[in-house]
Amino acid sequence: MSTRHILLGLLAGGPSHGYDLKRRHDERFPQARPLAYGQVYTTLQRLVRDGLAEVEGTDSDGGPERTMYRATDEGGRELAGWAGEIAPPAPFVTNEIFAKVVVSILAGGDPAAYLQAQRTAHMERMRELTAVKTARSSDLATVLSADYALNHLDADLRWMTTTAARLTTLTAEVDAS
Amino acid sequence: MNHQTEVPVPLLAARDLAKSHGRTPALRGASVELREGEILAVTGPSGSGKSTLLHCLAGIVRPDGGSVAYSGERLDRLPEKRLSELRRTEFGVVFQFGQLIPELTALDNVALPLLLTGTPRAEARARAGEWLERFGVRGQEELRPGEMSGGQAQRVSLARALVTGPRVVFADEPTGALDSLAGEQVMSALVHTAREAGTSVLLITHDARVAAYADREVQLLDGAVVPQGVTV
Amino acid sequence: MSGSPQRPPRGSLRSDLRLAWLLTRGSDRREWWRVTLTAVGAGLATGFALAAAALASLSGYHAVPYADGLLDEPGTRDGVVFALLLLLVPVLGFLGQCARIGAVHRDRRLAALRLAGAAPWQVRRIAALESGLACLLGSAVSTVFSVLFLLRLGRVPAVAWLGIALVAVAVPVLGAAVSAVSLRRVVASPLGWVRRVRPETDKGMRALLLASVLLTGVAALLVAVGTRGRFAGLPLVVFALVVLTGMGAVWAAGASARLTGRLLAARTRSAAVLIAAERLRDDPWAAARSHAAALLVAIVGTGFVGVREVLLDALAANGHYSPDGLAFYTTGIDLTAAAILVALAITLGGLAVGAAESLATRRRGLAAQAAAGVPREVLGKALLLETALPLAPAMVIAGIGGMAVSTWYAVLAGGGRSIPLLPLLTPFAIYAACLLTAATSLPLLRRTVRPAELRYV
Repeated sequence: MSTRHILLGLLAGGPSHGYDLKRRHDERFPQARPLAYGQVYTTLQRLVRDGLAEVEGTDSDGGPERTMYRATDEGGRELAGWAGEIAPPAPFVTNEIFAKVVVSILAGGDPAAYLQAQRTAHMERMRELTAVKTARSSDLATVLSADYALNHLDADLRWMTTTAARLTTLTAEVDAS
Repeated sequence: MNHQTEVPVPLLAARDLAKSHGRTPALRGASVELREGEILAVTGPSGSGKSTLLHCLAGIVRPDGGSVAYSGERLDRLPEKRLSELRRTEFGVVFQFGQLIPELTALDNVALPLLLTGTPRAEARARAGEWLERFGVRGQEELRPGEMSGGQAQRVSLARALVTGPRVVFADEPTGALDSLAGEQVMSALVHTAREAGTSVLLITHDARVAAYADREVQLLDGAVVPQGVTV
Repeated sequence: MSGSPQRPPRGSLRSDLRLAWLLTRGSDRREWWRVTLTAVGAGLATGFALAAAALASLSGYHAVPYADGLLDEPGTRDGVVFALLLLLVPVLGFLGQCARIGAVHRDRRLAALRLAGAAPWQVRRIAALESGLACLLGSAVSTVFSVLFLLRLGRVPAVAWLGIALVAVAVPVLGAAVSAVSLRRVVASPLGWVRRVRPETDKGMRALLLASVLLTGVAALLVAVGTRGRFAGLPLVVFALVVLTGMGAVWAAGASARLTGRLLAARTRSAAVLIAAERLRDDPWAAARSHAAALLVAIVGTGFVGVREVLLDALAANGHYSPDGLAFYTTGIDLTAAAILVALAITLGGLAVGAAESLATRRRGLAAQAAAGVPREVLGKALLLETALPLAPAMVIAGIGGMAVSTWYAVLAGGGRSIPLLPLLTPFAIYAACLLTAATSLPLLRRTVRPAELRYV
């Protein structure tokens, strides 16, 4: 996930300062990991360094002084290029659950019990997300981001179910090598 | 959820259910409890006995062994007449498809359970209309099931299952024949209505995304319940 | 046999035959019911046609040791042939009903064959072989018994053997042809059939049935006119009256089914009436179709009861017949009565088959209704009402038509005779018989609404 491009995207609507960008990010992408203020600040400085954004001025508005940023033309081009570029479809398979299953077999643990516990945790999280999604107050952005996570958790679950059913073969394969 | 100090008496409880279809065992010692106002998902692979469990709990099928207790009554010992009455008044059922009469309009299909309990036609139709509206089937009251989309027909089925104000709704793969968006609409309609009315729901599904609408999940495997809460 | 331009590959008839046999053997009980009932119907048809052919082959005076000399004279013999041919009409109706058993299932299976890559002519041939074999079985049994019976009689003219051979071959061939034609839609669009649930009226099937009925009628007329006797005009008038009243009754059954359906569906307070009424409104012609034969029998029966009363009255009043001469007439009347009763029995058989088929087709839905708590009594009541509602007005029409025939005959017989009132009871009796027949499917309903049906929804 590219924080630079997301900030550039938020700046596309007009000049904004760091705190405002953080607030809008968290609002626009519910259920995502919230941006740390320090991260927003360093990313903005890098954008300025690369000529993709520039300082518009300062604005105190009665409170502490805040630096306003705006996107440059080059920043706009960079953003358009990034938004149209496809995301590489799973270039590396990083699967912590699979790693744990294999390690568990190697160390003589109980991979079946682990998978069952993981399944329970997944279901618990899916129930939480479904509750968030079906609450009367939730807007479409919330529903869509919860759906995204739900579908991924569901994919994990289906993978775990088929893996649990084939643990014996997997154990034999891992032990043999 | 308010937690009480004492364990609440379950509304519906099955103990050690056994049932075979011919020589094929479908249930071997399954025990399940459904509490008042709870939405319980029963999941498991095909052939694990999910539907048979639902049929036993709803009094559609008599188990070969074990007991089913519904608010103090032993369902497995009740005569068919009383079971049929219970299913008509206290239970509602939703199947994957097939519970709507193809020749009746949506409105008459929903009004049917009320007619069966002696409600006058005009009143039955008026109440059926209210339920259809709650499930977002508006302006299609006079369509027949064949003229509706799968999602609409399933929402009509939900209205029919809930129109009598049942205490328990049994839903067997209610979204099985629907695409995911229609399935979501059906599920959220069911969950919202059940929570508002305090209706218990027993939900059979093989889809984890559907099971996530429930408060609790019971997994079936080879006709028995998989023990939960394994410590790592 | 196949008129298609593609030449089937060598040995494919045998492989089709094997496939037809495999499909029949692997299918459920309903398929066997269809095969059995089709064979029975074909046997009946062959039997009547064979008797007609054997009798028609006689010319001039023959001493036939049956039926009190009724078969001796060419004139009365032709009357019997006429009656036998008319009996084919209810048999054809019965066969039509039998073809509907498991039709949805069979059509789906054949559609699946088409989707799996079978050519249209192959599917047609497999289906034709299936029903052709069933008809062949029935026809063979009938033929064997008829031949044994004729051999006991002694000398039989060669032309009779020719007629017998012709009939024995024609019945299975006709059965196969009807089956092939009725599959037109499955063959044309296999995908369209996979989704359809309700068996619809098939135009090809209907046209063929109608053509068979008309052919039978024309054959009967030719026989009747061919005698040039004093009865020549009578069969013509009777036939026309029967056909006209029958058509009126079918139309009345359909129209009244639609109307009663609409009126009742809007007003009823009972769930059973609502279900029955909506089914009628949805497909009024289904009821009319399956009841058409019952209506025809009702008309003919009502007319006959009147004619019989007048005739017996006239014979008794006349008083100068020898006992033999009297027996000649009463045997004729009794034979006609027997023929009508046979027709009624066949028709009721068709009705029972139709009711059972309608139940079997809807068994999943019915099981779901029962599971949802709709009491079995409500479902049973709805089932009976589906027969009772559309049949009632049609029976009234049938009664009026029959009464017209018998009144006309009473006036013709003259002598200031009172108009017979007994025929008025006949439609009621037939109505009651039809309801009883429909009620025979109630035990089947009990078996149908098993929860096991739910497992495959």
